[in-house]
Amino acid sequence: MLFIGASRKSLWPRLLAGVSYGVPLLFIVLPLASFLAYGFFHLENGNVNYTPSLGNYIRFFTDAIFIPVLWQTSLLCFAVAALTILFGYPVAFLLANLKGRRRHILLLLVLVPLLMSYIIKIYAIRSILGGNGLLNRFLLWIGLIDQPLTLFVFNLNAVLLTLTVLLIPFAILPIFLSLERIPRSLIDASTDLGASGMQTFRHIVLPLSLPGIVSAATFVFVLAIGDFLTPQMVGGQSGFTFGRIIYSQFGTAFNWPFGAALSTILGIIVIAVIMVGNRLEHRHT
Amino acid sequence: MMHLSRVALVALSFATMLVFIALYGPLLIPIISSFFNIAHGEVQWHEPSLSAYQALAQNAGILTAVRNTLIVGFSATFLALIIGTLLALHYCGGTSLARDLMHFTVFLPFLMPPIITGLSLLIFFRETGIPRSMLTVITGHTLFVLALSYRTIVTRLQSLGPSLIEASTDLGASPGQTLRFIILPNLASTLVGAGVLSFALSFDETMITLLVTGTDNTLPIRLWAMMRLGFAPDINALVTIVLGLTVILCVVAVRLLLPAQTIQSE
Repeated sequence: MLFIGASRKSLWPRLLAGVSYGVPLLFIVLPLASFLAYGFFHLENGNVNYTPSLGNYIRFFTDAIFIPVLWQTSLLCFAVAALTILFGYPVAFLLANLKGRRRHILLLLVLVPLLMSYIIKIYAIRSILGGNGLLNRFLLWIGLIDQPLTLFVFNLNAVLLTLTVLLIPFAILPIFLSLERIPRSLIDASTDLGASGMQTFRHIVLPLSLPGIVSAATFVFVLAIGDFLTPQMVGGQSGFTFGRIIYSQFGTAFNWPFGAALSTILGIIVIAVIMVGNRLEHRHT
Repeated sequence: MMHLSRVALVALSFATMLVFIALYGPLLIPIISSFFNIAHGEVQWHEPSLSAYQALAQNAGILTAVRNTLIVGFSATFLALIIGTLLALHYCGGTSLARDLMHFTVFLPFLMPPIITGLSLLIFFRETGIPRSMLTVITGHTLFVLALSYRTIVTRLQSLGPSLIEASTDLGASPGQTLRFIILPNLASTLVGAGVLSFALSFDETMITLLVTGTDNTLPIRLWAMMRLGFAPDINALVTIVLGLTVILCVVAVRLLLPAQTIQSE
């Protein structure tokens, strides 16, 4: 399409092709390949032994720790996805129903947190959580509770709450986009035929926004399961997640090959979730 | 979209308000407490002061971190825009399986969990004997934001269509001339927008950086280290400043990315 007349011998197309295949090959494919290969190596006296074996994967499947943690983490991330959709849907729905300046401002308010530093957001949320945190003290002070809630203590609950707050914008946007795509004529037809607002919502709007809900769930799940900063910051002693275990292989445990194998498993789960998500999305459209 | 009843509107507004309180409320705590004295880990609400900011100004590590963040951000943005443009020009230059594979590969560092992107690079650098440094951080950031700049440029090129370029070539322009006089002027606004967004993403990138960084830490890594050490008043001051910068960056990005009329007409 571009440079159609460049058939006279010119360096330009070749240069373009060279960069276009060279850069991704060298900096994306090669690192990924070495990462996948590392999962089959193992550690020997603190050095990497390059004889390929399935040892890391066997350890993953036979050790009593890893599969339960992975299962627990998956459930956690699924709960995060459900919560973000529950809280995000009304916002997306309101957004789709607003016009002009109001809609512009509300959309901006949803987008701004996405550009704010992730680490700062975690820090801010952490500062109000905790057994003796601001949230508990505030609830005690207004008399809503008479004992500090354990809900906010630094454990998996705190991870759940923090991830939900962090990832809500990622749920709002796809739902909003799917609501936007619903043809007005369908809603008008439904209203003309005498359906109440609630009926129109239940039978027209909600089913047609399902693809958006599915892609929101996929988005949030994938982002949540790959996160190791949040559990590290608010998870406390007991809030162990799969991402945190992977990260520890590169810090305290210092077992890179095993870390690579665990990350490969994480990658497989992420790809599977995305594929299932895609399937569901297309079934509903 | 729908005609909403008054009750529905009130309920929706209430739910939306709750979400925004959760999104923005926690951020107010460090901002407000940065303007007060802190003693024995408690904020002294009757003692407003700027001591946190003074402590921050004396923290040499922070200034270095800010400098590193800027160097990394500008380098990564610059590289990603150049490479992104070249890749987009190649992708739009025809159809082939190789092009589709390239297209897919470019998005991988952005789509995969950051821990995988980071680990891949970490292992790659180790096996090729490249020590972890600012250069490895810049590489990681470039790959991360490349997907975004590439995507934006491809979209723009496709919307331009082939006729403009064909006309230029038919009139005898060399590829270089077509690039300079036709393609780049048409890409200018897209490049600026993609650049601002790339810089913002790089400014904030933490998870990949954490894995490929050496001793030259960027601001998020510095913050992460400070927060793990525990509570220090200068963190709140730093958080406040960074949030302020982010909001300014957002306003600039919105002004640049949205055409002026859409803002005025409303």
